[in-house]
Amino acid sequence: MTSQHPPSSRLQADGVRLAYDDAVVVDDLDLQVPDGQITVIVGPNACGKSTLLRSLARLLKPSAGRVLLDGDLIHSMPTKEVARRLGLLPQSPIAPEGILVVDLVARGRTPHQKLFQQWSESDERAVRAALTATDTLELADRAVDELSGGQRQRVWIAMALAQETELLLLDEPTTFLDITHQIDVLDLVRDLNEHEGRTVVVVLHDLNLACRYAHHIVMMREGDIVASGPPAQVITADSVRDVFGLRSVVIDDPISATPLVIPADQRQHDRSDDQ
Amino acid sequence: MTDLRDEVTSGAGTRHHTAAAHVLLLRGRVIRWSGFSVRLDVRSTSVCVVLCGLLVVVSLWSISVGDFPISIRDVIATILGNPTEDSEFIVGTLRLPRVLVGIGVGATFGMSGAIFQSLVRNPLGSPDIIGFNAGAALGAVTAIVWFDGSPTQVSAGAVAGGIIAALAVYLLAWKRGVQAYRLVLVGIGAGFAVNAFIDYLITRAEINDVQRATVWLTGSLNGRSWDEVRIVAVALAVLGPLAIIMQRRLDRLDLGDDTAAALGINVARSKLALVLVAVCLASLGVAAAGPIAFVAFVAGPIARRLANSPSACIVPAAFVGALVTVVADLAARRLLAPTELPVGIMTAALGAPYLLWLLARQARTGAL
Repeated sequence: MTSQHPPSSRLQADGVRLAYDDAVVVDDLDLQVPDGQITVIVGPNACGKSTLLRSLARLLKPSAGRVLLDGDLIHSMPTKEVARRLGLLPQSPIAPEGILVVDLVARGRTPHQKLFQQWSESDERAVRAALTATDTLELADRAVDELSGGQRQRVWIAMALAQETELLLLDEPTTFLDITHQIDVLDLVRDLNEHEGRTVVVVLHDLNLACRYAHHIVMMREGDIVASGPPAQVITADSVRDVFGLRSVVIDDPISATPLVIPADQRQHDRSDDQ
Repeated sequence: MTDLRDEVTSGAGTRHHTAAAHVLLLRGRVIRWSGFSVRLDVRSTSVCVVLCGLLVVVSLWSISVGDFPISIRDVIATILGNPTEDSEFIVGTLRLPRVLVGIGVGATFGMSGAIFQSLVRNPLGSPDIIGFNAGAALGAVTAIVWFDGSPTQVSAGAVAGGIIAALAVYLLAWKRGVQAYRLVLVGIGAGFAVNAFIDYLITRAEINDVQRATVWLTGSLNGRSWDEVRIVAVALAVLGPLAIIMQRRLDRLDLGDDTAAALGINVARSKLALVLVAVCLASLGVAAAGPIAFVAFVAGPIARRLANSPSACIVPAAFVGALVTVVADLAARRLLAPTELPVGIMTAALGAPYLLWLLARQARTGAL
């Protein structure tokens, strides 16, 4: 916790095995989430990205190994205590029918409230700040059902922001969004990280966006971490072929100078190197 | 909506020139007092006040009418402790407990229905549809038929039956978690099975017990005494506050289990507690007046619409349930006077069309 090199990590997984019923998804996995950075987890469908994220957020208890938050076993901590330090936006949260944006965002204050402390000045301030940061203040009175996909996603992020946790986990926050809204959401993530110093972990599908926004990339395949580190080290033509089975050329992104994966034409070559 | 906003604005407008920036974001009012704060939804509160007023009016009316009419003034005087010669027996022994039981069971059913419908995320998830009330009825009938039970024993039987039914339905519907539609379908099936078993018990019982059990099974407020008032009063006094306190958790669970957990709610424990409270509420309602059909089923949706709120509306649902039951009982007594119908027939006549409409709509939208 106090060491500066390598970057300290408030949230880490230590030899975890994650399983649903009998199906083991992840086994003996180690991960340190670097503080104050944006970590992006990438990997093919069903490689265990979301499962890993759920276990980091205490939603899934490892059947072996442990997840530590600030050095304590996360599964022995009170749920509320975890919720004050770590926020999570799940893949498909459900908005109750007819709920207003402000009421939804206000629910992010839950871990800071008590039975007879239902709405303090700091609750009001945090919700206002979250709405402002996500540019949804003028939507406050609207019903969530009426919003576009991009607006709705910003509102959900606002809810997680209102929780005021230094650690924020986002499970595929850009799914179902068009390219403009994907960029909006990720710019917002970057702002949160740069201006407020929040540690963010994001699961993403788009490798190029992952490279552009991540300080630290974690690449997963079949429940294992294949590589992790800065994008330029992790995302290479070789690693993309190994992990995704996709032949590609990796060049420098002309805007951000991060790796840019250009898929090769998969049909023109013989398929022997797929094996 | 706009008038509420205005009210809110005026509440926060004291800090004058920053008023625009300080308008309370939330609908409703916040009452703050030395470190404590309570949120009050103005519309929900008004709805409750209006429903409460209606409830008092209908109750007084219901007590006053009958084969032996008593003026409203005498009714009030009797309740306040100055009975006339006739009114003491008719009001104090016959009609007042009847109305109070109606209010009480309506409230327990309304709360229980609102909790279950929110947990299951489906209006069909109410305890009278998914067999929990049938389970409670089986427990109560067993107590009546086998033990010739006292009101306390009937209550205990009902609660035990309700919990066992809930447990059975839950386990049967379990398949890597519980899906709403599975729970509803399994629950409806379980309700039929339980009712068949009740019929069997009735055929094997003493004729006097059969009489007592059958009237009770239709859901009737006829002949309710202070014993039954006591059952629902205890139920409401103990479980009501618990339900109200837990509404906060219920509303977080409505965002999905993962989101609720991320907000610091202990999902498994909260659900268990909510189910227990809701089953006990419904079961004690059943113990007092039988499985009055559809009250739990209609109260929640009506309350939500009246309060125009996305929350579970447990308190408004209690008032709606009470009002529906008392009105239905008044109608059941007077529509075919002097013949009295059991209140359950009346509520079924009201609730069944709504059920059909809802089934048709959910079948069309694919929710079921």
